Amino acid sequence: MEMEKFRYDNQIVRMFFWATVVWGVTAFLVGLTIALQLPAPVFNFGTSWLTFGRLRPLHTNAAIFAFVGNGIFMGYYYAAQRLLKARNFSDTLSRIHFWGWNAIIVAAAITLPAGLTTAKEYAELEWPIDIAIALIWVAWGVNMIGTIIKRREKHMYVAMWFFIATFVTIAMLHIVNSLEVPVSFWKSYSLYAGVQDALVQWWYGHNAVAFFLTTPYLGLMYYYMPKAAQRPVYSYRLSVIHFWALIFLYIWAGPHHLLYSSTPDWAQTLGTVFSIMLIAPSWGGMLNGLLTLRGAWDRVRQDPILKFMVVAVSAYGMSTFEGPMMSLKNYNAISHFTDYTIAHVHIGALGWNGLLTFGLLYWLAPRLWNTKLYSVKLANVHFWLATLGIIFYVIPMYWTGITQALLWKQFTPEGLLVYPNFLETVLQLIPMYWTRAFGGTLYLTGSLVMVYNLVKTVKSGSPVEDEEMEAAPLKPIENEKTDYKHRWLEARPVPFILLSFIAVAIGGLVEFVPMFVVKSNIATISTVTPYTPLELEGRDLYIREGCFNCHSQMIRPFRSETERYGEYSKAGEYVYDHPFLWGSKRTGPDLHREGVGKLKKPDAWHYNHMDNPRSMSPGSIMPVYPWLLTRSNDYAKLPKKISAMRTLGVPYPDGYEDQALGDLKKQAEGIVGNLKDSGIETSWDKEIIALIAYLQKLGTGILPR
Amino acid sequence: MYVMFLLMGASLMASLIFLGAYIWSVRSGQFDDKYTPSVRILFDDKKKSKKSDTENDSGINEEEKK
Amino acid sequence: MAIKFDQYKTGHSDIEKSESLNCFHCGDPCPDKSIAVGDKIFCCHGCKTVYEILNSNELCEYYDIENTPGVSPKKDLVSERFAYLDDELIQEQVLEFSGTNVNKVTFHTPAMHCASCIWLLEKLHDMDRRILSSTVNFPRKEVSISYAINEMKLSGAAALISSLGYEPLINLDTVGKREQSSAEKKLYLKIGLAGFAFGNVMILSFPEYLSRVGDVDPVFKMVFGYLSLVLSLPVLLFSSRDYYSSAWAGIKSRTVNIDVPITLGIGMLFLRSAWEILSQTGAGYLDSFTGLVFFLLIGRIFQQKTYDVLSFERDYKSFFPLSVTRKINNVEAIVPVSKLLPGDRIVVRNQELIPADSVLLKTGTMIDYSFVSGESEPVSKDAGDFIYAGGRQVGPTIELEVIKEPSQSYLTKLWNNDVFNKPRFSRLNKTVNQVSHYFTLAVVGIALAASLYWLQFDTRMAIRVFTAVLIVACPCALALSSPFALGTALRIFGRKGFYVKNTEAVEALSKVNTIIMDKTGTLTKSQQETIEFSGARLSREEQQKIKSLVKHSTHPLSRKIFQALDTTATLPVTDFEELSGKGVQGIIGGDKIKIGSGSWLGMPVEEIDIEDMKTRVYLHINGQIKGSFLIASIYREGLRPMLAKLFKQFRLILLSGDTEREKATLVNLFGQEEDLHFRQTPEDKLNFVISTQKGDTHVLMVGDGLNDAGALRASEVGIAVTDDVSAFSPASDAILRGENLHLLPTFIKMSKATMSVISASFIISILYNVVGIGFAVSGMLSPLVSAILMPASSISVVAFTTFSTSMRARMMGLS
Repeated sequence: MEMEKFRYDNQIVRMFFWATVVWGVTAFLVGLTIALQLPAPVFNFGTSWLTFGRLRPLHTNAAIFAFVGNGIFMGYYYAAQRLLKARNFSDTLSRIHFWGWNAIIVAAAITLPAGLTTAKEYAELEWPIDIAIALIWVAWGVNMIGTIIKRREKHMYVAMWFFIATFVTIAMLHIVNSLEVPVSFWKSYSLYAGVQDALVQWWYGHNAVAFFLTTPYLGLMYYYMPKAAQRPVYSYRLSVIHFWALIFLYIWAGPHHLLYSSTPDWAQTLGTVFSIMLIAPSWGGMLNGLLTLRGAWDRVRQDPILKFMVVAVSAYGMSTFEGPMMSLKNYNAISHFTDYTIAHVHIGALGWNGLLTFGLLYWLAPRLWNTKLYSVKLANVHFWLATLGIIFYVIPMYWTGITQALLWKQFTPEGLLVYPNFLETVLQLIPMYWTRAFGGTLYLTGSLVMVYNLVKTVKSGSPVEDEEMEAAPLKPIENEKTDYKHRWLEARPVPFILLSFIAVAIGGLVEFVPMFVVKSNIATISTVTPYTPLELEGRDLYIREGCFNCHSQMIRPFRSETERYGEYSKAGEYVYDHPFLWGSKRTGPDLHREGVGKLKKPDAWHYNHMDNPRSMSPGSIMPVYPWLLTRSNDYAKLPKKISAMRTLGVPYPDGYEDQALGDLKKQAEGIVGNLKDSGIETSWDKEIIALIAYLQKLGTGILPR
Repeated sequence: MYVMFLLMGASLMASLIFLGAYIWSVRSGQFDDKYTPSVRILFDDKKKSKKSDTENDSGINEEEKK
Repeated sequence: MAIKFDQYKTGHSDIEKSESLNCFHCGDPCPDKSIAVGDKIFCCHGCKTVYEILNSNELCEYYDIENTPGVSPKKDLVSERFAYLDDELIQEQVLEFSGTNVNKVTFHTPAMHCASCIWLLEKLHDMDRRILSSTVNFPRKEVSISYAINEMKLSGAAALISSLGYEPLINLDTVGKREQSSAEKKLYLKIGLAGFAFGNVMILSFPEYLSRVGDVDPVFKMVFGYLSLVLSLPVLLFSSRDYYSSAWAGIKSRTVNIDVPITLGIGMLFLRSAWEILSQTGAGYLDSFTGLVFFLLIGRIFQQKTYDVLSFERDYKSFFPLSVTRKINNVEAIVPVSKLLPGDRIVVRNQELIPADSVLLKTGTMIDYSFVSGESEPVSKDAGDFIYAGGRQVGPTIELEVIKEPSQSYLTKLWNNDVFNKPRFSRLNKTVNQVSHYFTLAVVGIALAASLYWLQFDTRMAIRVFTAVLIVACPCALALSSPFALGTALRIFGRKGFYVKNTEAVEALSKVNTIIMDKTGTLTKSQQETIEFSGARLSREEQQKIKSLVKHSTHPLSRKIFQALDTTATLPVTDFEELSGKGVQGIIGGDKIKIGSGSWLGMPVEEIDIEDMKTRVYLHINGQIKGSFLIASIYREGLRPMLAKLFKQFRLILLSGDTEREKATLVNLFGQEEDLHFRQTPEDKLNFVISTQKGDTHVLMVGDGLNDAGALRASEVGIAVTDDVSAFSPASDAILRGENLHLLPTFIKMSKATMSVISASFIISILYNVVGIGFAVSGMLSPLVSAILMPASSISVVAFTTFSTSMRARMMGLS
């Protein structure tokens, strides 16, 4: 028998290395831009492509999928080959994976500012890109499983398990959440409506955090932290328990994003309970990481890589403690819809993901280019810039969050809101927004220092050729065990039959569910009617401009909210909402009752407000939308939209496609007439008309029409 | 709320995959040694620099013969 | 005027390392700087050789991982030593896997001790191209090697790792016992399945608990119910199987063990849940059911603490070699020990074990029986003497004729005694089982009474109450308290070098009231002695002469004196004579020197007796007694306070295989004389233990050697004391590091404390049960109440027991 010779593919690691660096800086830059847009609306530049509503999804996508995503793959391709003692299963797949993934990111960077979005957080990309994501993801999975099969190391190190979990769960989450009915190449409607859509979305949204930002990074932590510290992980046994406990618990924490919303109580509490239970495995993992450094703290003081890792793991511990706390109802009542959540996620993103990635980049660069780090001092400078940046970021944001919540809820002794005008609560936050932008600047500066340091490092070395390795294949030595599995199944027919039964049962369930889902999209409140064609088009514009990024449509059953906005939101009001637009943050006021009661404003108000918000609300930080007034809407796709909605269960009568445009025009002319009365001349096909129609529709569901 | 069925079904399916993986890893002895793998990953693979692979099959035998 | 020589050690030394003269490879002190490569100094040629091997294979990264990671290879290394491994019969036993091209073997190598060892042993293929791969299991100190069959022999693989200092331990016992963990694997599977079902059933049960009445769609309820039922089936049929079989076994032997009420409880849980779900009258208690089984299994894992390198099950096979050299017609051949027949002629070399009872041929020799009989001094044997198996040959190669097969030999016959077939701890009823007996009766009684009461009003209610009582009374908390308390104690003991085999042994330890101790190797340090000289002052020249004389003797006492004298031994000796059982004599530089026993040298009898407690060797120069060397065993530290402590609470007995030589010292230590017994054969010891075990007498036996094996086994608790845990110790319930023997009273105290923690937790869990039964008899046990009560009781009992057990340990200074 012969030893097998093989070479590790270092090039693919270098490719992902640079992608991580480039996208990281991009994500930070976009983040800084939107941070500046809040205190200074002028940074929206008066152009549709760069408004907050469109850049915010770009920022989150760039941070999560571009920066962290490429970071995962960089770390994976380096570690997995070495852990499995095998070159990647297929170099072609590796290349397809790299170019495909980064093409998707480029597509996101173009489509999101262009306003092409599904409005579902962290899943904003439209359906053709969704399909591409699924394909590229599977390419990675095939490559990984292929490498596992041909591995030459029998034991699969715990990091590999975290990568496998990432692959399996993200594939499932992405596919289930992205089920949508296309209208055109760049437009689709979510399969689910309203509350159901919200449930699916946050089941996905939370687990995306879990399985994209957490599990793969735990895998990286379990490989690179021992490597950097040159000592084995504190307890390998604990890491294995950590993995299995996390895997079986994480998937049910999602509904905690929907506390006090119109989802059923039990679903909300389910989310809370499982979130609390998650503290145990999360902290187990964190302690395991930190204790790995026991006895090596003197080295942590000298080695910036270990510093990055230690702070990263501590940030993980912080955010995994804070998360369960935030999913407690009374805590959530304060934190939700405020900047508190923004602080929380940035502890995770900047601290856990960001710093760990920087640690990896500094650790890998000398190894990939066979040289020494250009400057340890600069790496230390980066460390302090990044750490201070995080502090300057999160402290004002926690402060802002709590301030917001308190201001919103403050009543006079007479029982009136102290700040009835939402804008007043916003203006008090401006100094904090500036401080946050300063923190972001520090963080970005730090990353630029890193880029300089890395470029200098790389220039001082030369790419390490794929090193030749040799190892004996596993197969011939292990083949005495091949009949093993069968024996188990034969000897234990009962569990086997049961398992197959469960599998079949679930398969059947999945088959029937879409039918159920559509069927249950029927109004339970008789006054709730489908959107008129004009309102539907207006809603699509609302989605295009990303209004949901700052305005929620979910009035919680608190007196402070019903006092401010009106009747709290009911589940039955959303049955025709494909997708749901509840939002997750109130930079501006909630809009769910915008068309009724005391909040209802004349059409002209909306017209002027969109042209320049400050003309109607002095001091407002909302961007200007002058293009809505001038651009004509293209109604060519209206029949298709109507028919897609009908497929999803919205009860438009048969053949309504043909009269929809007529109805639309009639309703638009009405609004044009209203505007004319206020001295505004415009035409029925302008985008603003549709948007006004939608805004005036909001909240009317519970009123008889 | 029938969408819960979909979510539960999908989650259950994923956890079945993991259950299968767990059963495989127990059966195939992945948990036999809960310490050595954590040390093993620390060793860097070093390529052989000089000396061709066939020239000498062992340094040991010569030492023993002395 | 007495000259005191420094204490010396014949075992592995821990002598302090001086800065400059430490071996680059193994870190041991170097005698001088003569063995060196460049600026690197080595303690011996073995270490230097290993360094050179690593250097020539570019494997010096080895030294980067740890400082001085190496072990010094055995100096008398010859590859022929492993030649017996190439025998086909032996290969069959040793090889783990044999293919057409590749063989795989797993060696036990106690010498591995650090990360560098792992690194080096996994790099074997870089050193020798015929090795394909090698994998280390560090906790078990094993290395699995695959090698190409047509290029390498098994002996070559063994020689390769020996040359690096990792001598494999191969004996009858280590062979063919690889696949040990199948029970453990099964337990992992059971836990995984139960945990999986528990998690998912819990999710499916939440809607029922967490919503207001009527809030959950009936379709949800139905689907969730059926799904839970399906998920619970593997738990019922697979995960909890052990509890049924144990309960059944208990009932068959007419005892009610703890598993009876558990089986009743989980059976009822499942049946009632299934009925409720199928009849759509309720949600059932399947989350409690799966959770209960999951927690119980976790308790099982926790109560197991395995020490991978230790074995508590060794019998004589562990000590006997795998093969022996047989001589037929002057041709030597290696045969497996199991093939030896009476009449065979065998060759035994220095330091080898005698594998079978036999008769010594030709020359006389010394046989070290310390491990068999506890006698500390080797015994001299002449040609024609009968020699028992198990003795170690000290001296030149001898030939023997086998009289009995190895398995029928005197010592190994000990294992034919009945005590080795009886299950352990049969004399002690487990506390849990005692409690569960009454517990079960009470629970069934309450269930019956309550259902009879309800029967007057409502039959359905009666059935519900009956099942509810059995469900809620399922003694999960009760069953968990002892695994967690005892498991915690087990871990605390382990940290203090007291490795207890299982939780039963901890429990048994708390009940002992009589302690029997062996002497040699138990109270004394094995292989360590002090040598003192008393008498006239010896000149340097005289010392040289003495050393030169004893140099020619192979007698162990001579060797000890030789090593203790710090001088050279270069003087020529004439008329050298060694008189068996008496001493040595010779003429050096004109002086006639005799060294030997008092009686041989004509010492007055009474003087000998007074000094009887130690071994004394007299020095006689030119007809004049110059003084004597006193060779004494070293008693372990802290022995006196320990024995004093034990003496207050226990009956203390000494059973020594040795002579009365040290009686005085021992009387001094033990404070009494009547319970000191000497010249005890292995069987005497065994019988003594059995005869002591009358009535309420529960015996703790503390021993170390094969000769104690029977007594260790027969006693309620047998503790084997050892100075080197990776070395072999006889079958026992616990292995104790010699240096921690003085902690024995604390260990016993701790085991008692643990039992009192368990009793306290019994009270807590019974309180829970009273509350639960209160709910049950009044017909108010809803699934939610059960889902809260059951985990709450289990978790609080687990938390209480673990916490208070570790608190008690901390108070005793054990943690």
